[in-house]
Amino acid sequence: MKSPVFAYAAPNTVAEACSLLANDEDAKLLAGGQSLVPLLALRLAAPTTLVDLRLVPALTGITYDQGVLRLGAMTTHRAIERSPLVQDVAPAIAEAAALIAHPQVRTRGTIGGAVAHADAAAEWPAVLLALGGHVEVTGTTGSRSISASDLFMGPFMTSLEPDEVITSVSLPIDGREIWVDEHQRRHGDYGLSILAMTYQLSDGFLTDVRLAVAGATGSVTRAPEAEAALEGRAPADSSDAITALAAELSYTSDIHGSADYRRDITTTLFQRALRAAGERSGQA
Amino acid sequence: MSFPHSQSPSIAARSIGARVPRGDDPRLLTGRGQYLADIVLPGELHACFVRSSAAHARITRVSIDEARALDGVVAVWTGEDAAKFCEGIVGELEVEGCFATTMPLLARDIVRYVGEPVAVVVAESRYVAEDGCDLVDVDYEPLEPVLHPRSALEGGPSANEELPDNVALRGGKVLGDVEGAFNNAARVIEATFHSGRLSAGPMETRGVIASYDWTSRRLRLWTGSQMPHYIKYCLTAYLGFPENECEVLTPDTGGGFGQKAHIFPEEMLLPLLARELDRPVKWVEDRRENLMTATHAHEQFIDIAYAFDSDARATGVRIRATGDGGAYHQPPWSMGVEPWCTAMVTPTGVYDIPAADLIYEAAATNKTPIGAYRGVGYMAGTLVRECLMDDAARAFELSPFDIRRRSVVREFPWTNPQGIVYDEGSWLQTIDELERMVDYTAFRERQAALRAEGRFIGLGLSVFVESSGESTAMGKAHDLGGIYHDTATVKMEPNGSVTVTIGLTTQGQGHRTTMAQVVADSLGVPLEAITVRAAESTTYGWGSGTVGSRGAVIAGGAVLRASNVIRTKLVALAASMLEADPADIDLVDGAAVVLGVPGSSVSIIDLATAVYFDQSAWPADFDPTLEATLAYDPARPIFSNGGHAMIVEVAPDTGFVTVEKVFSVEDCGTVINPDIVEGQIRGGVVQGIGAALLERLVYDDSGQLVTTTLLDYHMPSMDFSPPFEIHHLETPSSHTPGGIKGMGESGLIAAPAAVLNAVNDALSHTGTVLHNIPITPEQVLRALRG
Repeated sequence: MKSPVFAYAAPNTVAEACSLLANDEDAKLLAGGQSLVPLLALRLAAPTTLVDLRLVPALTGITYDQGVLRLGAMTTHRAIERSPLVQDVAPAIAEAAALIAHPQVRTRGTIGGAVAHADAAAEWPAVLLALGGHVEVTGTTGSRSISASDLFMGPFMTSLEPDEVITSVSLPIDGREIWVDEHQRRHGDYGLSILAMTYQLSDGFLTDVRLAVAGATGSVTRAPEAEAALEGRAPADSSDAITALAAELSYTSDIHGSADYRRDITTTLFQRALRAAGERSGQA
Repeated sequence: MSFPHSQSPSIAARSIGARVPRGDDPRLLTGRGQYLADIVLPGELHACFVRSSAAHARITRVSIDEARALDGVVAVWTGEDAAKFCEGIVGELEVEGCFATTMPLLARDIVRYVGEPVAVVVAESRYVAEDGCDLVDVDYEPLEPVLHPRSALEGGPSANEELPDNVALRGGKVLGDVEGAFNNAARVIEATFHSGRLSAGPMETRGVIASYDWTSRRLRLWTGSQMPHYIKYCLTAYLGFPENECEVLTPDTGGGFGQKAHIFPEEMLLPLLARELDRPVKWVEDRRENLMTATHAHEQFIDIAYAFDSDARATGVRIRATGDGGAYHQPPWSMGVEPWCTAMVTPTGVYDIPAADLIYEAAATNKTPIGAYRGVGYMAGTLVRECLMDDAARAFELSPFDIRRRSVVREFPWTNPQGIVYDEGSWLQTIDELERMVDYTAFRERQAALRAEGRFIGLGLSVFVESSGESTAMGKAHDLGGIYHDTATVKMEPNGSVTVTIGLTTQGQGHRTTMAQVVADSLGVPLEAITVRAAESTTYGWGSGTVGSRGAVIAGGAVLRASNVIRTKLVALAASMLEADPADIDLVDGAAVVLGVPGSSVSIIDLATAVYFDQSAWPADFDPTLEATLAYDPARPIFSNGGHAMIVEVAPDTGFVTVEKVFSVEDCGTVINPDIVEGQIRGGVVQGIGAALLERLVYDDSGQLVTTTLLDYHMPSMDFSPPFEIHHLETPSSHTPGGIKGMGESGLIAAPAAVLNAVNDALSHTGTVLHNIPITPEQVLRALRG
């Protein structure tokens, strides 16, 4: 469990990082290393160069401006979990960060790294999809913004170009309700099912519902039929949506649970989210 | 047996019984331990193993040229290179119907499990050694893997051609009128169980360092072994190193749990490499290797049936225990010990069951060899016995306490049908005490109230008797071979301080503290004046291994016998100095005192000083040797007993099982140190919760091990450690030092059954009864949903 040989670079700017990536097609960004370093140790990844982003000051920081929470790509999960700003404007996001692994991992792992890694059982991609967020990326030819729905292409696959670096993750915090929850067998385990849901409540009815599932499916995914089945309904009036969610997704099977089991517990997670929505609508 | 080394002197318990803090803790808990990987020898090389990627295949070619050419690689050996020195390690169990296997140090011609070592690369660093391994190219021609033990025993391809019919072990006994018991039974309760494949998963993986000096022919081998003297013996027996020039050293060891109580090919290869390369060679196992190759444990398929009479008393038992043994016997415990013990020892347990039909078998399969892991044989055996008792309780509509009381042995000594004699025990009291602790009536009321709210809790009970203090007498009582004895050396210095050396290594159990307590009471010296060395080197003493819940009993007996020699001299000297009868002298609180004569005393320090420096104080014919080495091996087998009751809750939305509380009763005779005993209970029970709810080594249909990291092999973490309520019963043994009994394995032996029973109780309204561990959330959810 020792990594193969690699070159190591720790640039101070995003531009330098991009050019290092552009000059070596087998280079890989290191953004916390909580997934990449174990992969190196297991020799499941063998990049020629590791481009460590830890010394790029422009990649950290949390701001909130005009309904958008902007998280620098190198912001750690722990920093998000503990940020007074995040706890104030979007407590559900701070709570979602706390679902990730253990404090040791959260203290090093970063939101940009997690999003770029696009693990099918990671929390942030589901949150990003459910909120309709986007990432800012910079490559050798310039910067662009990629919406969450255009970013995640499959397990461990994104639409990032080889020379592109995620510089920040933006989450719209615009008054919609946010719910993130998951089933972990042991505290800190990868979620057997992760569910992120955002919605508006007006007069006790759900609108603008966005639902994302991870952990239970082969890659992070929206559930459009379940979303549509909830539109304009009261949270208690959800049996069509529950049926839709069970039917429309392709659930995965492995030693930790069969597809049927993952479908069942995703359903119970969804029911929990709907119960919470019902309580919120009662309070409203 | 009436050898002198079976007699242990009496001892007055003063420090014994006290909650003395563990002396090792400040060092270990502040990161100052020196584990194997912390030892760095000048000029050391690093070994890494190329391991089979196939479950069963013929090796058609091993290409090592590229690896050899890599900068920093010093040597690459294949099976042929190793076979020049050693054909392999022979393993078998000394019981009827066991067939031996020879495990090569490196596979030749055929590989028989994923992870089997095929080649070893030795390099200037572990990184380069792994690079070298990547460059070794092995061509495999696939052979059919044998993966299911019961079908393997029915015929078909062989997992290991040394065992053409895959039978590594097969035997049994019929004792008493089994047929009559079943023919006349009011009710027969039966089931087939599967106890999953486990890893002992010690926090520190295995590791070896070998260093050889050709000028003196001196070999030093560091290994975190539970059996360093056995390893040393094997260095001579298998490799021909001169025994007088071999030293096996045991640094701090982060857990063993039986996994480190074997001889491994890696331990035999590194001495050869060190000698041939003339440089020290180190190998530190990584977690993937540990999960893949460092012996697996506990997996069995077991059919069991109990006959009950109309009073719900068990009258007969039938059991067939089948071990899924892996490709070889891993010496010395072999793949046989697990099913053999389950079938031959455990089915009667604490119950008076007069008739037993006992069948044991182990099948060779193309999997990692099965080895010992805490509670070997006992865990699965206790699981099936105790789970069936709860099944019977439901069938008879009795409480789990009542059904056990109908059959429990009440009179001692008691001889079971297998002929094993139990001198004493608190078997009935254990059941009564657990019932009181649980408050059974209140529990049932709470269970009913919660069920009405859609919450499901359950109570599970499991009681056990455990062979402890593994000894020659224990082996004989069970028709097993094995001669055991262990020595201890006690040496008093001129200033009255004491150095104790025991032949047992320690893996974190606090032996240094418990043994110091025994010496303190024997010699009357304070604990601070005692240093205990736990088999840090085979230069000192002899040990048969830290196995079989034997540390406290065996090391305690040897230590007490040795310190009693010193005590006798101190008493004689004190009697002379105080002009008293030696029979009136006691050693207590740092002084020799004359009983009944207040103020007449001399300090131990003054006595020790007089031995070394003041001949005038000596009585006639005084021999000043203040050092004694004596052996101990108890005259009779020792059995401890106890039980656990657990309350669990199952979550209706996930099927997750949470253990709400554990109630434990332990009777290990005289308790040396309650903190250490309770730590053993907690640790063992949590391992048992892991075995029942989480841990499972999984092979796919091609014989690939799927669970090769701790992301997939789930061990219990702190959030799986429930609150405990522990009650001690003390039924001392009449023939061990101070009445001590062993208890290191009891938690894991009995906890899985309690968990399984508690889950079945929580599900009792569903009609589903589970008989396999680990219990998966999916099984629970299915049961709850009908």
